[in-house]
Amino acid sequence: MSEVFVITSGKGGVGKTTTTANLGVGLAMRGKKVVLVDTDTGLRNLDLLLGLENRIMYTLIDVVEGRVPYKKALVRHKKHETLYLLPTSQVKDKSAVNPEQLAKLCEELRKDFDYVLIDCPAGIEQGFKTAIAAADVAIVVTMPEISAVRDADKIIGELARAEKTDIRLIVNRIRPQMVEKGDMMSMEDIDDILSVKCIGQVPDDELVVTSTNRGEPCITIDKSLAGQAYRNIVGRLCGEDIPFMTFPKEGFFARLKHALGM
Amino acid sequence: MKDEIVKIKGSKNGLQMSFSPTASFPEIVQTIREKLSSGSAFFLKGTTVQIPREPFTDEERETLRKLFYSHGLICQSVRQQASNPQPASSNPAPAASNPQQPAENVQQMVVIDRTLRGGQEVRTQSSVLVCGNVNPGAQIIAGGSIDIRGTCRGIVHAGALGDTKAFIVADHLMPTQIRIANLIARSPDPSPAAAYAEKTKRAERASIKDGQIVIEPIER
Repeated sequence: MSEVFVITSGKGGVGKTTTTANLGVGLAMRGKKVVLVDTDTGLRNLDLLLGLENRIMYTLIDVVEGRVPYKKALVRHKKHETLYLLPTSQVKDKSAVNPEQLAKLCEELRKDFDYVLIDCPAGIEQGFKTAIAAADVAIVVTMPEISAVRDADKIIGELARAEKTDIRLIVNRIRPQMVEKGDMMSMEDIDDILSVKCIGQVPDDELVVTSTNRGEPCITIDKSLAGQAYRNIVGRLCGEDIPFMTFPKEGFFARLKHALGM
Repeated sequence: MKDEIVKIKGSKNGLQMSFSPTASFPEIVQTIREKLSSGSAFFLKGTTVQIPREPFTDEERETLRKLFYSHGLICQSVRQQASNPQPASSNPAPAASNPQQPAENVQQMVVIDRTLRGGQEVRTQSSVLVCGNVNPGAQIIAGGSIDIRGTCRGIVHAGALGDTKAFIVADHLMPTQIRIANLIARSPDPSPAAAYAEKTKRAERASIKDGQIVIEPIER
């Protein structure tokens, strides 16, 4: 029984690709067979985050146009043997794949994998429509920022219009201290507008940037708070009931510093 | 000239469609698709489209419903009765009193049983009841009044055809803009301290008083 997820957001730069890479690695760490499909044709990044760029031979475009069977285009991850990437072309653009082609491909992938994760491009145009076509579940990634929440709201409306009803939410790059001070939207504020089942609250974490540059998602780093949040999301996707993380409060000295205006 | 495959008639309840009895189902779907994508101002989002129930199977009706839905139209299937009257002999009731007549005068209301999200729009000549929220970026333009059983953060326009008696009610009335007939009011600029506008505590009602839009708390 395999599931097809699409990771989408509307707005760019909120962490769709980072989320896809982390969830993919996380599911593979649990021994699941996972394939990550990059549909951001022309602006592909998922291969970089996984450190697989130099191993790409064929792309999604070659597969949907029937030049090679999809197995030839798959790139296996260096460390996680059950994790595969189906990269897309950096040369072509979004018009190179249509929803029917991707849906057909996903039907084939379903037979061989436990999880198919589709990394959706930003925007609501052709690329988005193609990416969501075959998905059973949509994971909407947003940030505690009015523009990201506004776009997530629009995307949820578009998903409903495409009759995708199983929608889950991940709120990325939360800065707990700012939320506490009332300088950033809280989870309640976001839930009030989006009212979609939340499966993850990921704190902003410098390790995400450094691990991205190294091509190794932060979910593998034990001490990373974001990594812990992603591990929790993976657990929830596998049906476990995991409470949301509580973030460490600002310490006494930090508060004293603030009070003294330092 | 050959018989038109799809006929469209405007009515109080929205658009009524009737189909040529000789046309095949694929022909009908094709014609509707062409008409919808011609971008005619006829097919405003949120408009109700009525199709006859009779010649279609359940699956065919579902196909049509999805087609209309993808263009933001709401599809209703109705039993044909008034349009092709049966011989009077089958009905012993006196023909003089037409039971359809009084129903026509009842004011119509569009009920939206979901949250309107950013970018979604409802336009109608009648009043609107929303059982859900109206999110920022969503729009309601109604000829009548608007009642929102939830939080209103979008743009709401009541009495859009000039009715200055129209009003807007919401559990939490905090719209980007509020318009009644030809008047406009906008929300106060947010205080720089708050990251996000706080929810209003009580249900409120906006209406025109002495030539301006007035918002007052109500019980409900």
